[in-house]
Order: sequence, then structure tokens, then C-alpha cells
Amino acid sequence: MSTLIQCPKCRATLLESIFNLHTLTPCPTCATPLQVEVFPALFRKIAPGQKAEEVLVEGESSCFYHAQKKAVRPCDGCGRFLCALCDCELNGQHFCPACLDVGRSKGKIKTLDNHRTRYDSIALALAVLSLITYFTFIIPVIAAVAALYVAIRYWNAPQSIVGRHRIRTILAIVLALIAIACMAGLIIAIATNK
Amino acid sequence: MAEKKYQRLTRERGSGVLGKLAISRSSLWLGDDHLLLVEGSGYSETYKRFFFRDIQVLTIHKIKSRLAWNLILAPLLALSAVIIAASSSDWPTKATIIVSSIVFIIFGIPLLLNNLLGPGCTGEIRTAVQTESLPSLSRIRRTQTIMNRIRPLIIAAQGQLTSEEVSARMRESAFTPAGDLESFSGEIPPVIS
Repeated sequence: MSTLIQCPKCRATLLESIFNLHTLTPCPTCATPLQVEVFPALFRKIAPGQKAEEVLVEGESSCFYHAQKKAVRPCDGCGRFLCALCDCELNGQHFCPACLDVGRSKGKIKTLDNHRTRYDSIALALAVLSLITYFTFIIPVIAAVAALYVAIRYWNAPQSIVGRHRIRTILAIVLALIAIACMAGLIIAIATNK
Repeated sequence: MAEKKYQRLTRERGSGVLGKLAISRSSLWLGDDHLLLVEGSGYSETYKRFFFRDIQVLTIHKIKSRLAWNLILAPLLALSAVIIAASSSDWPTKATIIVSSIVFIIFGIPLLLNNLLGPGCTGEIRTAVQTESLPSLSRIRRTQTIMNRIRPLIIAAQGQLTSEEVSARMRESAFTPAGDLESFSGEIPPVIS
């Protein structure tokens, strides 16, 4: 990526005189007030990718995935020898592509964890739906049972990584139980009146 | 229980001038060595991490969100006031006081807050491989407080550049050849005539 910085509004290239002033300055082209903070990483040269070297000496350690390539380090996950091509560096740790994939899919490598389903919100939405649609008889029962199922089934599922508590799950269970109890009470009342 | 290793920087907000009404929302959190952008649609969350050592540019620019909200809320408040005044002949009655209070709560307080919070803005963050919009940075005053909080962390990870140093480095990089032609060792393809 180039070192040129564009105005986010008009996309005109900005002059360096307005960088790192720590205050809003008008864009020379569109006059939109903007503040641009530039850090040394912008001028950092990106190191070219390494080539895997061929094994030249008989008995030299070779890559687990490429037997003809020289091993440069072991994988921090599985210990297999890796060539420069297979060595994936992540926050100071070195992994083979397989460990990286497993770490991402199973959530073992925290920094690769980039998606979570909020089962607590789903359960709560279903529980609220069961209360809102109370007058329809069928929908609240289905929604309340579904809310209970989601809340219990995914009780141990990973929650939001920004520190959400189980309050939504607990609230969903309570609301779903209230909805089921109300529905049961209504059915009993109708049955006894008949 | 989830580990409490993130501190909230911004509340959830959608993108655009009327971002408060958007379904897809994002928020910004401060981690030990990175900023975390959380994008949520209500039932799932996607996380983007921006490590302090990788952040190249942070940009904020003013948008007209305050004006947009003023244009929505002020006429509604004025219209409600006119309707209340026209409908009550013997002002102030108990009913009109209650209705005016409700109208003030619905339109007046948001209008007041909109102007107290100051002008609106939106942000962008750039690394070597991406440029991401930060819609949760919605007010200039609050955003500058956040910038003042994260700037020392980025400087601690990367070092500092004054505006003069930036100018010098920009000029330097402008005169650097775009490609390393010497490293090209393949054959030049023949021109098809």
C-alpha cells in the first residue's frame, strides 16, 4: 500500500502539512474538517517473503510438508519441522498451516477468533417473542420451548469476547418459563371452565 | 465467564449520518496491545483487531450528523408545541402539562443532547493491508478524548513522528522507485506486432 493518504470525504491526496497536528484542519480540496494522525508504521518497509531452501546435505532436517525443503523451525503447536514457506508467524509464535487452521476453527488461538454467535441474544429474543405473541396460543409455546432449548443447549458456548455476562441467558430462561407457566395456566383455566 | 480484558471506548453505533437507527452496529474496545472493532448484527459478532504496532494512520472527519438530527427533531418538537398550544384554550391545564412533558422527553431531550454532545464525526483506521471505517466514533469531542488515550499506546509500540518528520519521510518515499527493477530476472516478453 502506498504512503499517500487520501481525504476520507473527497478522496483527494492530502498534503503532509496537515498531518499530526492533533486538531481538526480543513481538507485543502473539499474543506471538510479532518484530523490525520500518521504513525511510523506507514513508512515501514514490508519484508519480502522467504524462499524455502532445498535440502543439500543428506540427513539434514527437512520440512514435514515439503520433504525436499530445509526445516527452519518446529511448529509451536504440533512440533513438526517447518520450512520457511510453511512457517506462519503470529504474535511471536510460529505455527504450521494445519495448526493455524485448527486454532482458528476451534478457537484455540485467541487472536484468530473473529466471529461469535450470540446465543444469549437469540434465546432472549425468542423468550420476548413468546411473551409478545401470548394471545396467539401456538407461537408462544414454540418460541418459549425454543428459547429454553437455545439457552440450555448453548449454556457453555463461548460468549462475546468483550465481556458479556450470562444475564441474558438467565433472563431468557426466566421469561420462557413464565410464558410456559402462563400458557399452562390458561389451558387449565379453559379446561376447568368447560 | 468471558475474560474482562477489554475496556469499552465507544458505544454501539451504526454507520452513516443517522447511524443510531442502523441494524448493523459497531463498537470500539481497547485491548492490551490492540484495538478491537466489534461489528454486530444483534445475533452474531465479528471481531477485527488492529495491533498498535500495525496502525499506520488514524483519520477523523467531521460529518453533518448533528445538523441531520436537528433537522429531524426541531421541526417535530415545534410541530408538537404548536399542536399542544392550539388544542388547549385555557393553558396551562393539567393535561397539557403532561402532554408537553412527554413531547419534551421524546423530542426535546434528544435535541438538547444532540447539541450538547457537539459536532458529529466518523473515523478511519489504516494498516498495511486494510482501511476500516470506525462508525462508532460519532462525536468529535469524544473521539479526540479516545485519540488522546490511544495515541500514547501506539507511540509506545512504534515511536513518534512529528509533522516535520512526516513531511521528510513522505518526500523521501515519493522519490523512491516504485519497483525494484534490478531484481527482475525473467525474460521480457516479445512485443506482438
